[in-house]
Amino acid sequence: MPALKVSGLTFAYNGGPLIRELSFDLRPGDFMCVLGPNGSGKSTLLKLLTGFIKPAAGSVRLGGEDTSALRPERLARLAAYVASETATPYDFSVRELTLLGRTARAGFWRGYSAEDGAAADKALEETGITRLAGRSVNTLSTGERQLVFIAQALAQEAKVLLLDEPTSHLDLKYKSGIMELLSRLAGKGLAVAAVLHEPALAVFGCNKALILRGAGAYSFGSAAEMLAPAHLAAAYGVPPTSPLLPK
Amino acid sequence: MKKNSLPLLLAALAAACLFSLAAGPAGLEPDIIWNLRLPRTLAALAVGAGLGLAGALFQGALKNPLSDPYILGTSAGATAAAVLCFMAGIERTSPLFFLAVFAGAFGATFLSYWLARLAGRLSDAALVLAGVAVSAFLSALVMLTLTASRERSFSLFYFVLGGLYPSEPGVLAASALIIAACGALALARWRALDAMALGAESAYHLGVNPERERILFFTFACASTSAAVALGGTIGFVGLMTPHIVRLLTGPSARTLLPAAALGGAALLAAADAAGRTLFPPSEIPAGVVMALAGAPFFMWLLWKSARGRA
Repeated sequence: MPALKVSGLTFAYNGGPLIRELSFDLRPGDFMCVLGPNGSGKSTLLKLLTGFIKPAAGSVRLGGEDTSALRPERLARLAAYVASETATPYDFSVRELTLLGRTARAGFWRGYSAEDGAAADKALEETGITRLAGRSVNTLSTGERQLVFIAQALAQEAKVLLLDEPTSHLDLKYKSGIMELLSRLAGKGLAVAAVLHEPALAVFGCNKALILRGAGAYSFGSAAEMLAPAHLAAAYGVPPTSPLLPK
Repeated sequence: MKKNSLPLLLAALAAACLFSLAAGPAGLEPDIIWNLRLPRTLAALAVGAGLGLAGALFQGALKNPLSDPYILGTSAGATAAAVLCFMAGIERTSPLFFLAVFAGAFGATFLSYWLARLAGRLSDAALVLAGVAVSAFLSALVMLTLTASRERSFSLFYFVLGGLYPSEPGVLAASALIIAACGALALARWRALDAMALGAESAYHLGVNPERERILFFTFACASTSAAVALGGTIGFVGLMTPHIVRLLTGPSARTLLPAAALGGAALLAAADAAGRTLFPPSEIPAGVVMALAGAPFFMWLLWKSARGRA
């Protein structure tokens, strides 16, 4: 059974269709990059997948469950989402924020159980930020902060992990570090989908690619096929010889 | 909660109570302490707790450190409704009075929120601007009402100014009960409030329904503010300052912040009211004026800090 199955998904924005009759599925272990020019609906697609915005038509199934009928509490157990940038004016510690990933499992009232604590510690370890556990999130660098919100998503223990531009604003070291982390997580059986700004980053273990070209046009397939320079050049409207395209 | 923060808060509260019971030009007559200062101290504690709690709820639910019932127009809505009730002859002890005041508070808060959202993304500055606009309009309505009806306006004037004058024990008990209930109900959802402090979109993805929680937390905050206004009129800045101060002791999580904000607000207002009685004897400065003198510079400091954070 696919971890994520999208069929006939359609969404219009300001009159014109942004996403039209989009269908694809991801299996456990798949690592998909979502590419496309600005404004082609990449971020919107992720929010349609989590049900944060509702499609005009079509369906999204997470682990076989139709998301249109599910409450946020159930959705958060099936799919975790990392926004491109999350900020809070308050000085939550890294561990507190990671524990908040347990909200859907812990309910609102009771304290965190030993199991919640173990899940948070495991997430901190997987993202390599155990040493930051006691620090306030507002004292961290952009890259470290991104890792905190990935740890928070991992603590949700969902089978599908969705990330919106997880590497934007980051330096090369964090870019490769986060891509390697995502690839490793897919290797452990998660289905991972990440919106990427730079196609070149897909070499870090992406096996699937979805390219949105705007106004509802898209192509989906194996990364090798989708990331061929000729194909990308057409999608982004740059010459096939552009040095910015992956070799 | 960080170590020693609860004893510290309780010590501050005890000190504020002692100050409030002892302060005043009339000395330490048992009769005065028992019959005059004790009810007034209890009223200050209840109003302060209600406003501190409401401030912590708004700052969390809106992910906006500049919000509080005074700035969002909640207090102005409650005051306007209370003044209309006085004009219509509805007594403070009547349940209808509380209901009307709550409706005023809730209506004004959602109006500010809706106005701020019109601009698209909810920004901290837009919310403050919308709150100022709503507050100014409602205050003008109140002033219009007071000017038009000269006979009763003197006592109403003091109510609008914000001060803890002798109130009926029934009103005090009802207000305290409402504030305690709001605190307990809000505390039962502490984790949802923490999730909201990351923004509505993050809250949703953590498994919280942001629309539902916003309405719930606004309801608790507005009911708590209404109970405070019914007792003490419009007193600003307690809701703004208290959460910022107690966060230094407890950290940002609502689980410890909410009780600490209620305790801290109670201590702060009891101290401010007592200070108002002792600064310029024999005249008495309303607690609302004392709080504004301390709170407005604090608000400026917050604005400066948030502007620097963005740069």
